[in-house]
Amino acid sequence: MLAAVEPLLEVRGLSKNFGGVQAIQDLSFIVKPKSIKGFIGPNGAGKTTVYNVISGIIPPTCGQIYFQGQKITGLKPYRIAELGLVRTFQNIQLFHTMTVLENVMMGRHIRSRSGFFASSLRLPAMRAEERRIREQALETLAFVGLQDKAQAAASSLPLGHQRLLEIARALATEPKLILLDEPAAGLNTRETSQLAELIFQIRNRGIALMIVEHDMELVMDVSDEIMVLEYGRKIAEDIPRNIQSDPKVIAAYLGEMETQSDAEAQEY
Amino acid sequence: MIKRVWKVIEQFHFLLFCLLVLSLPLILRRFEAGDYYLSVLVLAGISSIVVIGLNLLMGYAGQISLGHAAFFGLGAYSSGIVTIRYGLSPWLGFALSIGLNAVVAYILAEPILKLKGHYLAMATLGLGMIFLTLFSNLAITGGSEGLSVAKLSILGYVLNSRELKEVNYYYFTWSIALLLMHLALNLVNSRVGRALRAIHASEIAAHSIGVDIAKFKTQVFVISAVYAGVAGSIFAHYSTFLCPPDFGLTQSIRLLTMGVIGGMSSIWGAVLGAAILTMLPQLLDVFAEYDILVYGLVLILAIIFMPQGMSQKISLGWEKLTGQGSQGS
Amino acid sequence: MKFADQLLQYLINGITNGGIYALIALGFTIIYKSTDIINFAQGEFVMLGAVFMSTLYNRAHLSLPVSFGFSVLAVAAVGILMEVLMIHPLRDGSVISQIMATIGASIFFRGSVMLIWGRNDLFVPFFSCGQPYRFFSAIFDRQYVWILVIALISMGVLHLFYEKTTHGKAMTACSANKKASMLVGINVQTMVILSFGLSAALGAVAGGVLAPFGMKYDSGVTFGLKGFCAAIVGGLGNNVGAMVGGFVLGVVEELGAGLISSNYKNALSFCILLAVLLIRPQGILFIRSGERV
Repeated sequence: MLAAVEPLLEVRGLSKNFGGVQAIQDLSFIVKPKSIKGFIGPNGAGKTTVYNVISGIIPPTCGQIYFQGQKITGLKPYRIAELGLVRTFQNIQLFHTMTVLENVMMGRHIRSRSGFFASSLRLPAMRAEERRIREQALETLAFVGLQDKAQAAASSLPLGHQRLLEIARALATEPKLILLDEPAAGLNTRETSQLAELIFQIRNRGIALMIVEHDMELVMDVSDEIMVLEYGRKIAEDIPRNIQSDPKVIAAYLGEMETQSDAEAQEY
Repeated sequence: MIKRVWKVIEQFHFLLFCLLVLSLPLILRRFEAGDYYLSVLVLAGISSIVVIGLNLLMGYAGQISLGHAAFFGLGAYSSGIVTIRYGLSPWLGFALSIGLNAVVAYILAEPILKLKGHYLAMATLGLGMIFLTLFSNLAITGGSEGLSVAKLSILGYVLNSRELKEVNYYYFTWSIALLLMHLALNLVNSRVGRALRAIHASEIAAHSIGVDIAKFKTQVFVISAVYAGVAGSIFAHYSTFLCPPDFGLTQSIRLLTMGVIGGMSSIWGAVLGAAILTMLPQLLDVFAEYDILVYGLVLILAIIFMPQGMSQKISLGWEKLTGQGSQGS
Repeated sequence: MKFADQLLQYLINGITNGGIYALIALGFTIIYKSTDIINFAQGEFVMLGAVFMSTLYNRAHLSLPVSFGFSVLAVAAVGILMEVLMIHPLRDGSVISQIMATIGASIFFRGSVMLIWGRNDLFVPFFSCGQPYRFFSAIFDRQYVWILVIALISMGVLHLFYEKTTHGKAMTACSANKKASMLVGINVQTMVILSFGLSAALGAVAGGVLAPFGMKYDSGVTFGLKGFCAAIVGGLGNNVGAMVGGFVLGVVEELGAGLISSNYKNALSFCILLAVLLIRPQGILFIRSGERV
């Protein structure tokens, strides 16, 4: 199984400038298949920008990105999603006018093909495909535990469920890699531990994940490896235990960790 | 028992609507002014076709167009020019109208639909005005003097000749309208319809899960232009005289208003809005002097108090009546 | 006439039209800055300005300047009413519904004027009589001078209002950042109302100086559309841009009509509009207005 060692995602020398500001500087890393990579850094370190560049929303200033050995720099976002790389958003982006089920059915979009012609004539192939889409979407909903909410309006869900729905929609695209952007933001402790469980289950399906998250406990818990970004630069990349004791990381994080433990102290 | 009646109605509502449309001439024949009512209904059918296309574009995909009368006009003039200037078959006119609208919309779609919100509104408005200027000044369209168009004949039989004129044309118009309505209803309840609504709801999310937004926007723009073109051709052979003001900003706004009043995110709303706005001023003479005023007022009130249009009110009422919360398209 | 003389004449006419377009474009801009709404009834403010003025002059027998002043105030009141009754309830509505509502208002204004004043042109006398001025070999109509002078004065007053008064500064703050303005205690709603009043007043000024040429219920449409092109050409949401856009459009249009064909004069403005939207949606000026497109 030599192929398994090949990186799933490889980022080489990535930089991004906004005007005069260097948001990302010469960033290189890989994500191995079926692995979970934590991606942390103080606020404003450029994590979401890295996601935006990888998923094709904004072009890099320089650098290359390879997915399964194929260069994806410069591809349109929808092409990148077709290849099996999808993401979620820090500020959840659901189709709020649609039902929960329809949101997940949208995830099947790239794995189905009925176009304007077949759809307007309701050709038999289109109807069969539509049934399949619905079944698969229901399955995915059950996987994240939202099967009871299938017919509810997406906008009516509580925040925690909205995050799950966004993950379900991403899963429905049959990805090889999901980029999660602060999936635990706004979740309570119980929901967060359920999220951790779900992340492991996703990985057990053979899907790799990359997780930007401020909840250190969660990141340390689920990640095989963690990368730390500060001012757009990678300052560390290692297994969670080593990251925790890395002096550079501690220095970068000191302020942030303190405020976080303060907040936690107030919660209890 | 009554529950089952509701169920049947709900299941076959489109079929029932077709029956209603087909039987209307039989009922209206009993009235003295039956032909007049039929002529109003023909115009309602023609508008329905345009507004169905417009609703696909605006209500579903969320892309505003303030210049759709241009496509209506392009269709009408295609038919007129092909039959009058070149003496060719009206069916060639229909074909040209569809083809030309598709090509023009396809070329315009990519750059225009990159714009959003108010900018898109302004660009489509500008496009509409440019087309209007062309209609009013080109020699081939007859300019501001207008263009006469032949009546429609099928295999030598003139559809809208003196007797049976309205009945024939009514059936012709509405069979096309019902067919196009059927296609549109199928479309919105499909993978494509979902993708269009997704683009409307969040372009970022749609992009991120692999929807090729530019492609879908282009396709729906082309479809709505083709619908307008077909309607234009039908209109040309019915009115038999085309003059540019019929295809200007006022017409674009009239079509939009139909969508707003009927309900933009609904195919039924398109037909409903077109029917209401075509019939109301015709049936109530009171409007003669006040028509513009009432029209503006209705539009404002509809937007403030009925932002989802009449079709949504009706489907809510229906759910209440039948005591269930089921689909309504 | 020699070609150079012709050119000068087009230029003079263009600049005069440009002054009008600039006033209307400013009206669009002021409302857009405060509400993110394009007010499709802007042209109707122009028409109302002329119609009110003619009524005050011909029926109430007020003097020209007094009619002018009162008509501007009356139209400003109409603008404010429009905001309170219609725009305010729709402040969270979709772009489509906002656009349709202002279109509805424009139709409503046209309908009311037609019902009350009929379908004929209404006039007031020219502001001063006498031979037109001569500028080299070109003719400079006296009313044109009035148009230019009053347009420039209005722009000057507007500029002073934005720069020197608390309300003006508060309006600028609001358009830059609503939330922050609210936090520092600016009443955003008042600013929105003010912007509608101001914008309607500017429209009425344009209508007033045009009134001697005659104006009827549907005359506003064309002016609205031209002002709207000018606002885009200058970069929507930017006062200086609106003024520059107005003059540029006026001159280009007049030159195009004179040198190419007057039939396509309208199309020319819209071709410019489309070109600007597609190539430089931020407008022809190099000012960053911070608008998202």
